[in-house]
Amino acid sequence: MNHSATAVMDNRHPMPGMQVYNLKLGMWIFLLSEVMFFTSLIGSYIILRFAHPEHWTQPGVILNVPLTAVNTFLLICSSVTMVKAFVAIEQGDQKGLKLWLLATILIGASFVGIQVVEYTKLIHEGFVPSFSAYAAEGGNLYGATFYLMTGFHGAHVTIGVLCLIFVLFRAMKGAYTAESYGGVEIIGLYWHFVDLVWIILFTIVYLL
Amino acid sequence: MSTAQLVSSLEGEDRSQPGYAGEGQHDISFIRKYIFSTDHKTIGKQFLFLSLFFLVVGGALAGLMRWQLGFPGQPLPGGGVLPDTMAPGGIILPEFYNSLVTMHGTIMVFFAIMPLLVGVFGNLLIPLQIGAPDMAFPKLNMMSFWLAVPAGAVMLASFFVEGGAAGAGWTSYAPLSTSGEWTGVYLGQQLWLASLIIMGFSSLTGAVNYITTVINMRAPGMTWFRIPLPTWSLFITAILILLAIPILTGGLIMLLFDQTIGTTFFIPAGSGEPLLWQHVFWFFGHPEVYILILPAMGIVSEVLACRARKPIFGYHAMVLAMIAIAFLGWIVWGHHMFQSGMNPMLGTTFMISTVVIAVPSAIKTFNWLGTLWRGDIHFDTPMLHALSFVSMFIIGGLSGIFMASAPVDMYFHDTYFIVAHIHYVLFGGSLFGIFAGITFWFPKMFGRMMGEGLGKIHFGLTFIFYNMVFFPMHNLGVQGMMRRIYDPNEYEFLRPLQEMNTFISISVFLLVTTQFLFAFNFFWSMFKGRRAPANPWNSNTLEWTVPSPPAHGNFAVMPTVYRGPYEYSSPEVDADFYPQDQPPPGVGSGGHTASGPEPVPGA
Amino acid sequence: MEANAHPQPRYILIWGILLVLTLAEVGYAFMDLPKIVLAIGLIAMAVWKALMVALYYMHLRYEPRRMWILAASPLPLAVILVVAVLTEF
Repeated sequence: MNHSATAVMDNRHPMPGMQVYNLKLGMWIFLLSEVMFFTSLIGSYIILRFAHPEHWTQPGVILNVPLTAVNTFLLICSSVTMVKAFVAIEQGDQKGLKLWLLATILIGASFVGIQVVEYTKLIHEGFVPSFSAYAAEGGNLYGATFYLMTGFHGAHVTIGVLCLIFVLFRAMKGAYTAESYGGVEIIGLYWHFVDLVWIILFTIVYLL
Repeated sequence: MSTAQLVSSLEGEDRSQPGYAGEGQHDISFIRKYIFSTDHKTIGKQFLFLSLFFLVVGGALAGLMRWQLGFPGQPLPGGGVLPDTMAPGGIILPEFYNSLVTMHGTIMVFFAIMPLLVGVFGNLLIPLQIGAPDMAFPKLNMMSFWLAVPAGAVMLASFFVEGGAAGAGWTSYAPLSTSGEWTGVYLGQQLWLASLIIMGFSSLTGAVNYITTVINMRAPGMTWFRIPLPTWSLFITAILILLAIPILTGGLIMLLFDQTIGTTFFIPAGSGEPLLWQHVFWFFGHPEVYILILPAMGIVSEVLACRARKPIFGYHAMVLAMIAIAFLGWIVWGHHMFQSGMNPMLGTTFMISTVVIAVPSAIKTFNWLGTLWRGDIHFDTPMLHALSFVSMFIIGGLSGIFMASAPVDMYFHDTYFIVAHIHYVLFGGSLFGIFAGITFWFPKMFGRMMGEGLGKIHFGLTFIFYNMVFFPMHNLGVQGMMRRIYDPNEYEFLRPLQEMNTFISISVFLLVTTQFLFAFNFFWSMFKGRRAPANPWNSNTLEWTVPSPPAHGNFAVMPTVYRGPYEYSSPEVDADFYPQDQPPPGVGSGGHTASGPEPVPGA
Repeated sequence: MEANAHPQPRYILIWGILLVLTLAEVGYAFMDLPKIVLAIGLIAMAVWKALMVALYYMHLRYEPRRMWILAASPLPLAVILVVAVLTEF
């Protein structure tokens, strides 16, 4: 790569910068702030858990690990379909792009659906984020941190699905080509990041 | 497909890359031009009006507070207009006083100083100083402003809900802030949280924009070490915002849940940890302190070098010192919490790292003095404000070192000494920096010069009254007067301080009145001021190479940069300034054409 | 597009590795081991998976070196915050 992707017009080149185009750099920078956001949630969880281990139970006692393992499987699959959509448009395959995007949307939506089912069951069983019977001495830090972390992750997935629908809508209109696929690439980055966060959350929330 | 093709095609797709000025102007409607504008200069001006409005609001709140402290229990003149829930018969209620303290701090930090520095100068200066046609994402930039407006509206609305505005201090320490049981404020506190969450999104979108723009959109030749210091400082500030604000957002959300859905993250009764809130808040809060001072440092460096007609002393040291401050800023947050019963080992660590941060700050201060040394100093309004920034920052910085030491802080903690310290840094530092910036770049913003005589009178009176207000506060603090206290006369040992409090209050009223001079000068100059030439200060940086105010798209052709920004009184040229884009002798005027030098990758 | 700017990783293979690791994690979490051994093993596997996603699916592996630095920049801060606060409890 000789010149920055920001090389604007003809033969005038601004400084090379990060050697990726603005949209992609902007998305990466935004993801850094997302890292810090999840740090505040996960960090609070770690600290509260160390301070009050008595609030937590063994894994699998309250939370449904098999169901969530299926959900994890789904999200990992959606990452593959997303990257397939990206590869498709890189090669100019319009049909492939739309199909893989549609697959990603469907899998992502099922993830949110299963999470809603899981929440409903847990709340029905009395596992709520506030003061409850599960707590050792008033309050339910286990429930509060669980809903906080998985809830904000779920919100990110939901936003991702909505953005993917928007991208699919644009793809239908032929907005992306083998030469111009910035939108697909950055929604992909966001989607993989959300998957990455889930990988961490699944381990520390459900399995530890 | 080659990279170059990929690049150009992506640009075709990416509408966020507007053309340079002169590449075909298009007519835009009034609304797109002045309200939902994507032009960074217009957005900067929008932020200017919004944050000056909040500066007035914050100042008014301070005035109300000082009335109560200066004349406790006496009815406020004209206070009858306030509803009975705030000040029945003009006498300020203790609950309302709590709201005043909280909202003065919150509004000044988040809605006045931060947007003034980051929103106004970030938007105005970054693209102009690096030679870019606009921000990397102009629409995101517009969104940044239009998120700040509802955030401010929600914050102001909280005064008028039942229970009044938030009253747990701008730091909203838990568990005081977790329930209306303690403060009597229910909805107000929740609106406070919601408003700051929205404002966080606004700052975040701005930060993403600034960082991308500075990294990717610099004109040819604008290497990292040729970037003017205001842009450097705003770039570093944007990184701090990017990484600090989400931490606060996480904390605010948890606090909001504690209040609304019954979680107990910070409520000890439910085994939550109030100390966790303090850590989360200050992990954000200390970088925030540097967010509030670094851009002012950058502005002042620019003004000092330009008005002393000398190169800035130690440009590289200035940049590295700012980077060092930004790094160290992440590991000092605990010095706000020495009194929290922190682990002593941790406390000592924080104490040492805090004292270490004095080193880069001192480097900057000595470099400012070095810049002035034997300079051809022009005492015009921006320079006076910049000089006062340096001297007031020294006072505020030195009192900061007192409190960095844990044993001393035990004594000063939560007294008026800390109030004096923070105001020496935020008013004496940031706000004088902002005045310097506004008066310096006013011609570039509005195409007219600001009135010089009135500006000097405003500066002189502000400087005197400001010191009359805040210097005695050190004394109040040393004598033990607590911060945020409603009526010091409740305590026997504070009664002798009443006269000093009255003196301070009168000085505050004078200080506030003086600001009308600035407002008058500002608006009068905007419409009736002398027309500004392109480069009224004979400055070197790129924003002065274009007309005042610059056209949409900024530069007629992409500028090429040949040298650093502070080549004043250079022996190479006859004039005492040497613009960054002026080709060196012998190169000819090729700089403005397509045959600029190839940039060095990685430079 | 004839010549891609970066080689194509084998996405399906990585998908397989991620699945195997997920199953391994679930199995490992319910083994009768000391808590600390469990925690270290699980976190190691989670970090491995996260790295796979970042390096291959997010193409970090094929980005310029300076992008790596950018992407890693918030991690030290996250560690500092959690470790420092943990000393309090």
